Amino acid sequence: MNVSRRRFLQGATAGALLGPTVFNHALVRQSLANTIGNRFLVVLFLDGGNDGINTVCPIDDGGGSLRTDYDLHRFNLNLDPGNLLAIGNDPNTNALLGLHPALQGVHDLHTSKGTVAFLQGCGYPEYSLSHDVSRGIWESANPLNAPLTGGWVGRHLAAGYGPSEVPAVAVDWSLPGDFRQTTTSVLTVKRLEWFGFPYDYYGNEISAKRDAFNAIYGEASGTGMPQFDFLGTSGVATLVSSEAYPDLHDLYETDRGGWSAQYDAVDQSLADDMREIAKMIYGVSQGVPNVNARYFQCRNSGYDTHAGQGAEEITGRHGSLHAEVAESLKVFYEDLEDMGVIDDVAILVWSEFSRRILQNDNGTDHGSQGPMLLMGGKVNGGIYGNHPNINDAALNSDGNTPYSQDNADPFRSIDFRDVYGSVLKQWAGMDHNDILNVVMPLDAGPPASYWTAEDFDMNLFAP
Amino acid sequence: MGDENTVLTENDVRHVMRRAGFGAPPKELAKLLKQAKKRQNPPTRGAVAESLLDYKPKLFKPGGSDRYKAHNKWVSYLQKPKSPLQSKLVLFWHDHFSTQVSVVGEMKIMAVQIRLLHEYAKGNFKDFVKAINRDAAMMEMLDTVRNKKAVPNENYARELKELFTLGVDDLAGNSNYTEDDVSQIARAFTGWDYEYPKGTPYMDDNDHDYEAQFPSRGPKVVFQTTGGFGPAGRDFTVNGEGEAEIDTVTDILFDHTDSDGENTVARRITRRLLRFFCHDDYANPGPAEIAVIDQIIADSGFASTWDLQALYRAIFVHDVFFETAAPAPYGPGTKKAVKWPVDYFVSTLRLTGMKLRTSDRRVLGGSYRTAYGHLSQMGQILLEPPSVFGWSWDTAWLNSATLLARFRFARDIVAAREGGRFQPEKLVDLDLSDPGEIVDAVADSLGIPDQVTTNERNIYIDYLTDNGSNPALDLNDSYERNTKLHGLYALMMQSPAYQLH
Repeated sequence: MNVSRRRFLQGATAGALLGPTVFNHALVRQSLANTIGNRFLVVLFLDGGNDGINTVCPIDDGGGSLRTDYDLHRFNLNLDPGNLLAIGNDPNTNALLGLHPALQGVHDLHTSKGTVAFLQGCGYPEYSLSHDVSRGIWESANPLNAPLTGGWVGRHLAAGYGPSEVPAVAVDWSLPGDFRQTTTSVLTVKRLEWFGFPYDYYGNEISAKRDAFNAIYGEASGTGMPQFDFLGTSGVATLVSSEAYPDLHDLYETDRGGWSAQYDAVDQSLADDMREIAKMIYGVSQGVPNVNARYFQCRNSGYDTHAGQGAEEITGRHGSLHAEVAESLKVFYEDLEDMGVIDDVAILVWSEFSRRILQNDNGTDHGSQGPMLLMGGKVNGGIYGNHPNINDAALNSDGNTPYSQDNADPFRSIDFRDVYGSVLKQWAGMDHNDILNVVMPLDAGPPASYWTAEDFDMNLFAP
Repeated sequence: MGDENTVLTENDVRHVMRRAGFGAPPKELAKLLKQAKKRQNPPTRGAVAESLLDYKPKLFKPGGSDRYKAHNKWVSYLQKPKSPLQSKLVLFWHDHFSTQVSVVGEMKIMAVQIRLLHEYAKGNFKDFVKAINRDAAMMEMLDTVRNKKAVPNENYARELKELFTLGVDDLAGNSNYTEDDVSQIARAFTGWDYEYPKGTPYMDDNDHDYEAQFPSRGPKVVFQTTGGFGPAGRDFTVNGEGEAEIDTVTDILFDHTDSDGENTVARRITRRLLRFFCHDDYANPGPAEIAVIDQIIADSGFASTWDLQALYRAIFVHDVFFETAAPAPYGPGTKKAVKWPVDYFVSTLRLTGMKLRTSDRRVLGGSYRTAYGHLSQMGQILLEPPSVFGWSWDTAWLNSATLLARFRFARDIVAAREGGRFQPEKLVDLDLSDPGEIVDAVADSLGIPDQVTTNERNIYIDYLTDNGSNPALDLNDSYERNTKLHGLYALMMQSPAYQLH
C-alpha cells in the first residue's frame, strides 16, 4: 500500500481535531529533542539463560587455574582447546580465551574488523536464578526493586521523545520488557510485509473507515483507564505506521535483493528477524517519510539448556543456537556495512543469566553472571572485565560465581548497568546524571557487593 | 455489596458468560437463564454459578499426530464446547502448567496432558499437582526424565515451586524458598520416567537419589529457613524413600506458610484466578486486594480442602467478579481486562455465527488464514505457549502486530461474502433504517450494548450516514448492507471496547 500525501494530510486534519495524536507530532518530529542523532541501537536478547561458561572459555590456565577448573566442572560438555577460537587474554588470570567454535561468524568480525567487545562476568547483586525474575531485572535494570516502571530503554525513550512518536520497533511477537514504558509508542512488527492495515475493500470507502477507526481510537486515549489509554495510543500509532512501514519491505527487496538472499542462506529465524531490522534501518537512512525508528529489539530463544546441551558439535542445542546467532549477526553487520551505516549502529547482546559452573548429566542448570557482547562500526573491540572465578573454593553455596564490585578483587564482576549506562551515555548521548535520575539509580549497600559507584565511561566506542 | 443471593440482570449474566465462557450468544444465554431459574427464580449469583459449575467433566483430547491439526481441532471444539466454563478453566490451567508441544516433541503425549487438564480443572488442586508431577509431557518439558541421581537436574523442582505452587516471593516480597530447597526437591524427583505412548509413569530405582548412596548430600530436608516449618525444616523421606517422595514433597509445599502466616499456595492460586477472572490489580495486589484474596479463601475453605470448584464458586458470587461488568463511559477507576486472543477469536465466531471451513479451519474473506495462522499472529498458539511461564496477560497481549492481527480477523469475517458465510441478516433486523438503532442492534448482537459510549455511538452513526449526508439507511439493499453494515461490524469488532471484557 502506498502512502499518499493526501492521506497523510487527511490524517493530520483528523488528528488536529482530536487533540494530541501521532499526526500533529509527526509534522514537528524533526524539531523535537532526541540525543541519539543519526545512530541506531539494536538489542538482541538470548532468551533462556545462555551458558556463558561455554561462550567465552579458557583455552589454558594462564597464570591461574581457569582451564583446570573448567575441565573439572564440565566433565563432558567441555570444549576442546584446539577447537576454541582465540580472542585474547583474560585481563586477570592471563589465560588465553576463546569463543565456542560455532561462533565463527563473530570471530570473523573480531579478527577482520576488531569491532566486537566481549564483556565478561556481567551480573548484579542478589542475583536470582529464576528466568522470570532475572529477565525482569535485566529488562528493568532494577535488581533491588526501586520504584521504577518500564524497561531501561523504555525510560530512556520516554525522556527523549514525545507521547506519540515511534522511536523504537521490536521485531517480535510481543513488546519486550526492556522497551516498555507508557508515554511513547514502540511498535511490534514481526514482518513488515504483514503490517498493512486490513481494510475490507468492498464499497471503496477506505477513507470513511479510516476516519471512523481513527476517531474511536482517539476517543479511547485520555480516559485515565490504563487499558483504554494504552489501546488508544497504540491503535493510532499502529494505523499511521501501518501506512508507512510495509513499503520498507519492498524498498529493501528492490534495492538490496542480493543481501536479502544472504539472510535466506542462513536459513534461521533470527536471520529473518534481523533482516527486518536491516529493512527499517535502510528505510530511515533513505529518508522514507514517517519512519524514524532508532532503537530495535529482537530475540533468539531456546537457551534453557538443562539437558541435551551438547559441547562443540553443531547438532547440540547450544552449538546450533550459537551458530544461528553468529551467522545472523555476521550477515546483518556486513549488510549494514555495505549500506554505509555500520558506523552508526551498535548491537548489544545479553541474556538473563548464565549457567551453573558444574554441569548436570548432559546439560546445565541456572547460573549467575555471564558475558555480554557489543559490536558495531565504532565499537572498541576486545576483552572487558574478568572471566568469572570458577574454582570450587570460590563459588557460592549454590555453585555459582559471587557478584563482586570490590576493586581489590581480581575477579571483580561487571555490573550490567555500567554497560547500559555507557551505551546510553556514549552512544545514545544521554546526560550522565539523567541516566542516574531517570533510567537507573545506584544501589544502597556495601560497596564491595553492590553497585554504588557507576562507570558510564567504559570507553566502549571510538569517537 | 452483594453476595450469593444477589439477583442478576440479563446484562450481568452476559458478563458472567463473557468471563466464565466465550461470550453470550442469545440461545446459550436463554439456556443458562433457564437452568439457573430452576435453582432459584429470579436467578441469583449463586444459582448461575452453580448452573455453570454443575458440568460433567468431558475428557476432551485434541487428536492427531500433527500439532497444527490438534491446535485447530481444539479451537473448533471451543466453538461449541460441552461446557464453556470447563473449556475456559482448561485454558487457564494450560497457561499455568505451561507446556510446549515443540519441547515435548510428541503430540500424542501432549494430548494426554490436555485430557488431564480437562479431568482436574474443577477437581482437587493438590491431586492436580500430583498428577502433573507424573505427566509424561511435563516430564519432557521440564526434564524430569533427564533428572538422574549423579547430578540432579533442577528444572522441574524450580518451576514446581516458582510457577505451579508457591511463587518466588510471597505477597510481602519475602522469598518463599532458597536455592538449597530447589536442589533438595530435585533429589526427590530423580529417576522418574514414563512409558510411551500412553505416558504411564514409573520410577527407576537405579536412577533415584537414595540417601545412603550420597551421604555427603545430607538428609533430604526442605524449607529449613522458610515456610514456617522451623529451623529443622521438613524431612521428605519420612514416608519412606523412593516413589513416595514426590507426593510427600507436594504435601509439604501445600503446608507452606508465607511471612504473614497464611497458606502460600492457596493465596497464590486464588490471586492468579482473580487476575484471570477479574482484572490486573491482582498482578501486584495491595492491601485491599489481599483482603479479597483472604476472604475468598476463607469463604471457600480452599486452604484446607483444595477444592477448586468451591474456590470458583466463591469468586463467581463475589463483588470483585462483577467489577469488570461496569458499563460505559470508562474513567480512571473502571476495571477491565484484555481478552485473550483465543477468547477474542472464539467468542467472535460464536457471536457472529461464523463457521471455520471444515477441511482446514480457514476463515474465508481475505487473508485466507487458518485458525492457527490467525491465532499465531494474535500471539496465542494453543499447545505452544511461549515458555514455561505461559503467556503474558492483559496489555501485554496488545501491540501493533497483535492488534493488526485482531483487526485482520475482524476484516476476514465481514469480507467473507462468497456463499454468504457472514450473514448479518441473521443477527440484526434489516428493516431498521435509523442509524442509531442500527448501531444499538449491532452492539447488542456482539454482546456489548452497555459498553459503547455516547461519543463512540456518534462516531459509528457518522460512519453509517457519511457524516449525516445519508441519514436513512436501506439495509435490504445489498450494496448498502455489504458496505455499511459489514463495515460497522468490522469497526465494532476492531474497537477498543471489544478488545476488553
